[in-house]
Amino acid sequence: MSTPVPAIAVSDLHKSFGHFQAVKGISFDVLPGEIVGFLGPNGAGKTTTIKMITGLLKITSGTIRIGGLDNRKHLAAIKKKLGYMSQKFSLYALLTAMENIEFFGGISGLAPHELRARMHVMAEQVAPDVLRQKIQDVPPGIRQKVALFVCLLPEPEIILLDEPTSGVDPEARRNFWNEIYGLKKRGKTLLVSTHNLDEAEYCDRIIIIHNGDIVASGAPDELLRRHQQVNIEALFENAIKNHGQN
Amino acid sequence: MGRIKAIIVKEFFHILRDPRSLTLVFITPLVMIFILGYSISYDLNRIDAVVIDHAQSRWSKALSETFAANRIFVIQSRAADTGNPLSLAAAEQLLRLGKIKEIIVIPADFSRRLNAHGQSEVGLVIDGSDTNVANLVFQYTERILLEFTAAMKGSGQLLKIDTKIFFNPEARSQFFFIPGLVAVILLMISAMLTSLSIAKERETGSISLLFISPLKSGEIVLGKTLPYIMVALLDGVIILLFARFWFGIPLRGSLIVLMLFALLYIISGLALGILISTIAPSQRVAMLATLLSTMLPSFLLSGFIFPLDSLSPILQAISYIIPATYFLRIIRGVILKGAELKHFLFEGVMMIVLSMVLLAAATSKFNQQRKAVQ
Repeated sequence: MSTPVPAIAVSDLHKSFGHFQAVKGISFDVLPGEIVGFLGPNGAGKTTTIKMITGLLKITSGTIRIGGLDNRKHLAAIKKKLGYMSQKFSLYALLTAMENIEFFGGISGLAPHELRARMHVMAEQVAPDVLRQKIQDVPPGIRQKVALFVCLLPEPEIILLDEPTSGVDPEARRNFWNEIYGLKKRGKTLLVSTHNLDEAEYCDRIIIIHNGDIVASGAPDELLRRHQQVNIEALFENAIKNHGQN
Repeated sequence: MGRIKAIIVKEFFHILRDPRSLTLVFITPLVMIFILGYSISYDLNRIDAVVIDHAQSRWSKALSETFAANRIFVIQSRAADTGNPLSLAAAEQLLRLGKIKEIIVIPADFSRRLNAHGQSEVGLVIDGSDTNVANLVFQYTERILLEFTAAMKGSGQLLKIDTKIFFNPEARSQFFFIPGLVAVILLMISAMLTSLSIAKERETGSISLLFISPLKSGEIVLGKTLPYIMVALLDGVIILLFARFWFGIPLRGSLIVLMLFALLYIISGLALGILISTIAPSQRVAMLATLLSTMLPSFLLSGFIFPLDSLSPILQAISYIIPATYFLRIIRGVILKGAELKHFLFEGVMMIVLSMVLLAAATSKFNQQRKAVQ
């Protein structure tokens, strides 16, 4: 049986800002249909890596392939495959939730009737009067829902979520991960960055990054067994300690 | 003391570690002193004038020659196309178009009155749309007439001056300043609208979503420009109405003609704003850069405060790439002189060229920036 082409293939990726090395030659794959958690503390290099995958940041060296295509040569084609939800959600504060959705639908090239059809999904989850409020006035959980919704509007195959659960309450986090499972069932590939280590249990595989280096990667259960740890927090601390000693 | 020292040290760190703001702090005074040093001058290097000599006598010819011999006056007596002597009506049309600043009229009885009464009159018609320039033109003319009189003193003859100020007969400085201010404010507001809008998108991170969307850079630039054209045009109408009804500035020409040129002018301002936003990392820097790059040249190098003829050749050359230079001529022409569309074909073409160049540069720089991060 042939190995599937990775949805995301990162090889020897480096990123420097002046003398500071933010990403130090990391390599990893994300297979189609997987949920991969990109775990690490703030400043570990998660956002930098995700921004390089989207093409928002220039790669210092190394390669990134999306569905087999080099993202430096085929960015236009790759953009059609990728969905990206940024750390700050990056919605327009003075537009209502509905207007944000209409705007992002518009720039994605969705026809109005397609957009209306999709809106039913959102209307089932969020009350219409909330959708008519300015995005700056709605709770973070709703902002998060809207941000994910607009990210999914172009029906991307691969979804990059940068710290999607930061700043939202535990219930909203659980609901969010349920939505992510729903996406996996629809065949989507997801790379989700988080500094909440307890979210590792939701992932098929995790990649732990620290100071721009990958310090551990694999399925959560397998990693716990391999490193003889009882939970992800302990595994994380152990991996960082060992990495520091090396 | 220790607490104050902590604040001082922190502030120095802020100053030294923000290279763009630091550059602005040190470069701006140098640019200002350079531009101001060369532009603040009330000397005129050139006065275009028409002499209409109805007398055609020895004395009138001598007076014409005195003006022609002066290095500042550039005298025209005949029509450029036919070669015939210019009529007063034709000269007034040149005055309306801004081609000349003064008409010197020597009456038919000039020499007869000189010989008979020992004195005669010279008529001056001066473009008063720029009160400063009008004053200077009068002073320069008066000086030449005094010299001419001095040369004639042997015969004891004197000249009297009969002056008419066209377009602003009361020499109200508001007539001169307010149209200029409209031009400066409109450019500043237009540029600020787009520069702040894009800088804000950068600060909030929403520009990332535009960058990774299928949108082309040209589409983003156009999409950012078109709504603000309407906002700035409305702004222009409000400012003009305020000028008309609050300051009593007349509108002698067509509002439609003025708004047509304002549209071109606004496009150049909006494109300039986008260009600025590509180098400004924050809204604060974008605002400062917009203020400097619109107000300074528009005030000093467009002919608003100081006549272009008084600028050094280098600054005169720079004035040709400043949109306010052209719009200022148009707005003063339409408002004060009732000039029409056909009178500003050159200015219109130049404004179209400048708008297109600025839009192309803004799109290209925006695209470069988008690629630079990729």
